[in-house]
Amino acid sequence: MKKLFIAISLTLSFGQKLEPIDVAIQDLETIIQTASRADQRVIVEDFTGLL
Amino acid sequence: MLDAYPETLVAIEWHNSGFTPSNSDFDIPEYSSRASMYGVGGIPQTQWNGVQETVGGYANGNWQAFIGTFTALYNSMVGEETPYEISINGYAGSEVSYDVTISMDSDMSNSNQKVDIFVVEDNIWSYWTGASQYHNARNVARDWLSTEDLAISSADESETFSGTFDMDEDWNADSVKIIAIVQNYASKQVYQVTAVNINDMNPDIDDDGILNGEDNCIDIYNPGQEDYDNDLIGDVCDPCDNLVYILGNINGDTDDTGAPVINIMDVLSLVDYLISNESYECQDPILNINGDEFVNVVDVIALVQSILGGNS
Repeated sequence: MKKLFIAISLTLSFGQKLEPIDVAIQDLETIIQTASRADQRVIVEDFTGLL
Repeated sequence: MLDAYPETLVAIEWHNSGFTPSNSDFDIPEYSSRASMYGVGGIPQTQWNGVQETVGGYANGNWQAFIGTFTALYNSMVGEETPYEISINGYAGSEVSYDVTISMDSDMSNSNQKVDIFVVEDNIWSYWTGASQYHNARNVARDWLSTEDLAISSADESETFSGTFDMDEDWNADSVKIIAIVQNYASKQVYQVTAVNINDMNPDIDDDGILNGEDNCIDIYNPGQEDYDNDLIGDVCDPCDNLVYILGNINGDTDDTGAPVINIMDVLSLVDYLISNESYECQDPILNINGDEFVNVVDVIALVQSILGGNS
């Protein structure tokens, strides 16, 4: 039981320590992807006539 | 507004035959299909990126009162993230050849995604009977060249749509433009648009002396047009000619000159293959690094040793 408690504690501890790193990597990935994305230009189609 | 936002706003004037004088060539048959696509019942109607419209309200071309509405619509759309970029190149003569290349920098489904290519003529000084005045018509639709399915759906992919059209003798070549859009035919959303004057198109993107339409590798300099496997794809951009996918270059990457690059990323690609057992066409002949019967972890070790300068 004591070993199980230690195992669970270690898992949770390391899980909490790793989480900020994962988030940071995801943020970095998002920043890089966003920086390289194209910007939308706009098209207006004007249905009209001369008369 | 076109003059205010020349880089980011593109317009097409579609002229209704019922409101076009008999001596004018402004109306074209394609008006009907484009108008029915948006359910245009009368004129004037503007359609912004395919999904926002204004109906009526500026009779006889007196759109100035709508400048606030139009500017707000433009501002709500411009600069939004889109996965698509469009480049248009080609060669302009009595016949115009064009290459419209769509490239993606992030993933998006290709379901219902299509590429429309139009020809317009800009700056036509013309008399508008309804307004009793002369008016500078901008980007009058002259032809709807094609509508093609977009096949690509992932980042770093690109696809080129090529074609030709004849210049009408009445068109002013200095004012003729090609406009290309990526549009979803289910939602009508336009995801990107680009316009280029035909005189501004680059006829030889890689400056190797071979015009784009005849170049077997449009964007990499290869004046000799070498094609080892005679598949009409130049060696410098053909991944499956045993020049790029040589033994060890598992991921098929190249440097700026088109030369294969073998590094740690190839080791990772080989490991990926061993885990997934999935390869693509060009990889099959080059996975077995040590040349034995199997592709396995020993090949990974052999590749690592090769990269590090080992002998075996």
